[in-house]
Amino acid sequence: MEERLNMEKNIILVGVGGQGLITLGRILGTTAINKGIKALTAETHGMAQRGGSVTVHVRIGDVESPLIPMRRADAILGLELIETVRNLTYANKKTILILNNRVIKPQIPKIKIPETEKLIKIIKETGLQFKLIDALKLAIEAGSEITQNVVMLGALIKTNILKDIMNLKDVEETIKMMFPHRIAEINIKALKLGFEA
Amino acid sequence: MLHPILSPPGSTVLLMGNEAIARGSIEAGVGFASAYPGTPSTEIIETLSKIANHIGIHVEWSTNEKVAFEAAYGAAISGVRSLVAMKHVGMNVAADALMSSAYTGVEGGFVIVTADDPNMWSSQNEQDNRYYGLHAYIPVLEAYDPMEAKEIVKYAFQLSEKYKHPVIIRSTTRLSHSRGPVKLEETPKIKIKGKFKKNFEKYVIIPSNARRLRGKLIEKWRKIREEVNETPFNKYVNNGSNILIIASGMAYGYVMDSLKILNYRDKVNILKISTTVPIPEKLVEKALREVEKVLVVEELEPIVENEVKRIAFEREINVEIKGKEHIPLKYELNVDKVVEGISKLLKIRNPLIEETIKIEYEDTVPIRPPTLCPGCPHRAIFLELKWAAKRMGLKEIIHCGDIGCYSLGAYQPFQTQDIILEMGGSIGVANGLAHTVNEPIISIMGDSTFYHACIPGIINALYNNTPLLVMVLDNRITAMTGHQPHPGTGITATGKKTRIIDVEGIAKGIGIRYVKTLDPFKVNETIEEIIKALKYVKEKRETAVLIVKRACALMISSIARRRGIKAPKYQVNYEKCRACGICYNQLNCPAISSIENGKATIDEYLCVGCSVCAQICPFNAIETLRKPSDEWEQLWRRD
Ligand SMILES: Cc1ncc(C[n+]2csc(CCOP(=O)(O)OP(=O)(O)O)c2C)c(N)n1
Repeated sequence: MEERLNMEKNIILVGVGGQGLITLGRILGTTAINKGIKALTAETHGMAQRGGSVTVHVRIGDVESPLIPMRRADAILGLELIETVRNLTYANKKTILILNNRVIKPQIPKIKIPETEKLIKIIKETGLQFKLIDALKLAIEAGSEITQNVVMLGALIKTNILKDIMNLKDVEETIKMMFPHRIAEINIKALKLGFEA
Repeated sequence: MLHPILSPPGSTVLLMGNEAIARGSIEAGVGFASAYPGTPSTEIIETLSKIANHIGIHVEWSTNEKVAFEAAYGAAISGVRSLVAMKHVGMNVAADALMSSAYTGVEGGFVIVTADDPNMWSSQNEQDNRYYGLHAYIPVLEAYDPMEAKEIVKYAFQLSEKYKHPVIIRSTTRLSHSRGPVKLEETPKIKIKGKFKKNFEKYVIIPSNARRLRGKLIEKWRKIREEVNETPFNKYVNNGSNILIIASGMAYGYVMDSLKILNYRDKVNILKISTTVPIPEKLVEKALREVEKVLVVEELEPIVENEVKRIAFEREINVEIKGKEHIPLKYELNVDKVVEGISKLLKIRNPLIEETIKIEYEDTVPIRPPTLCPGCPHRAIFLELKWAAKRMGLKEIIHCGDIGCYSLGAYQPFQTQDIILEMGGSIGVANGLAHTVNEPIISIMGDSTFYHACIPGIINALYNNTPLLVMVLDNRITAMTGHQPHPGTGITATGKKTRIIDVEGIAKGIGIRYVKTLDPFKVNETIEEIIKALKYVKEKRETAVLIVKRACALMISSIARRRGIKAPKYQVNYEKCRACGICYNQLNCPAISSIENGKATIDEYLCVGCSVCAQICPFNAIETLRKPSDEWEQLWRRD
């Protein structure tokens, strides 16, 4: 217990507006406080409802402010690869990356978007440990393409970064609490598929 | 499902700062709450509006911040506890009423929440509204996390009621939009009806009364300055150091986390200040006397810093006081900046600049500006505006823009917002330009913006014979701030049906002779109508109004999904597509992209079936796979 009190875990969720990052932050934060552990989350995004860069900071444990300092993320959960590369500044040598294998084009006319291979090469060259997941495929398998976020959450839980705080069952409980039955079921399926991926 | 803020007392739930503020007001017995939406304040009233019917209180979206403020003040002078919320720039709109409210005071608790936006995440400036407290003699309270926010709201109501005086709570984007554990407590019985006791000397601020009230205000302020030395939210910890760190609001959390990183939590003295205005002078004096060096950490302006320096000067305390020298004046604070500032003060190495990993990406990562959604009617009208100008051979049209989703028209490829100043500026500024330049002037505003601040400007234009075209982009909702209803929607904040106050009726009622309502999804027709209207303005030298009416695509597609109404479907015929790029470059719809040979492709998950691309394709290469159903058409009109 003593150890748990001093513990601090920082997870940053990055992607594009509309990908369900804020919901993920709520699931993680709620699960932590349901286990009696403090959590603070913050979201940073610009003005449009959709389509802009979004980052959600999730801090669990002995923390007093909601923004993760640079290089202090224990994990980066990347729902989109351009946004992942943009936010690598939050990583240190021990940070684990869990990445959705997906590029979403920024809405600028005549823009050339970087190829997936190039982005992955940049990520590889950092020397960081990373796992690439085809979340869209698994989400469709779970029943809806919009559950990609929860697929990625399953993969995060699998890494054991949060093992002293929550397990798969705890997250399932939160999902059941937060969503109507039918939607919860699809999401729990997505969560498990991500966990097993 | 029950809203988490209605969970049973005793439970701890994860709440957003704004939800915590809403909960705090219920625990304080609020009976009336009003606001005009504005990021990052919106969720306070949004949360209260969802539970208003359940707990029986009055919650409303008002037409603008001034009205919201006055309405809440009205409730408070009848003895009902009331809350008004607004974004920081909304305070400017309400400032006239704010200043005088301090003179009259109130009866029931009256709490004003201003949500400031350091870093301008979604605003046009980063003004620090704590100055309003100093300016108006109104206390300003700041919390540092959602739990404290809830508690400080309750304290604000107590303070307000004790002194019969308005109280400001200053939140920021970071507090309003962060989530943390909040322990719920009992809610009292709520008073929703009051009684207004007439009092000529108190409520009628004609000069003779105002002069007396000014004296009383200064006297009241003296008492409040004493009172704040006792609040439990201001906290002084003496760790026996000769260094003191003073932090207000969110900065307190950043200081605590920074000291943890630096291993200094119990090696410096800490003074947490939650009553920024007025500052707890006795507490500050005591803390100053016990050290040699002080760092004031606060977001944006040096308000606490200046006060602390004044106290040191007036009481002849010989300490070195640093603030904005080490802590940036602009943008949002964070742990990185505070660690840097404290490291400088302590003259130690900043440990955060180590542990760098190698990243080579500068040229690979494109920016991702916010963008109009697929099927957004604003996109259609911006394209039509450009094409109308081209057909008329007009090179220089001045588009006086305004604030809303349509502000995004300022970006490539449209550039149909040449000036954006503040809400209502589209028409106000046009009133000047139209008399001083020769180019045609178009004033472009959203529907919510029209009700908020544009009607007096349109009357002004007509009254002063101003030749300009007014375009109201009526997407049937306040979209930018997350789809709040407004007077044109026929529904109130709490979901009650009400009369639709329609834009066309208002324009005609004012006396505008040229008023037409257009459907932006009929491309050619709309272009023709814009041309006609511009010609009318030029010939008659008179104000004309076009209302461009189509509901917000984001709202409609989510309703359609819920009701199982299928969107029409379009597909590119690759035989016919000649890779001209008009659809993906000029319309710039996120659902359309180019494939290797330059031909277009439509993403079926993103497309909402607006049909505009199909209409503008010069080769008729975009074909209808599924025609719009009547249900779908009706949904989009939302009359
Ligand atoms: C004084 C003030 N109050 C509130 C806001 C926040 N705000 C920005 S845009 C907007 C409303 C826009 O609604 P509308 O005019 O209908 O345009 P839409 O976003 O629907 O296109 C609001 C409330 C602001 N910028 N300034």
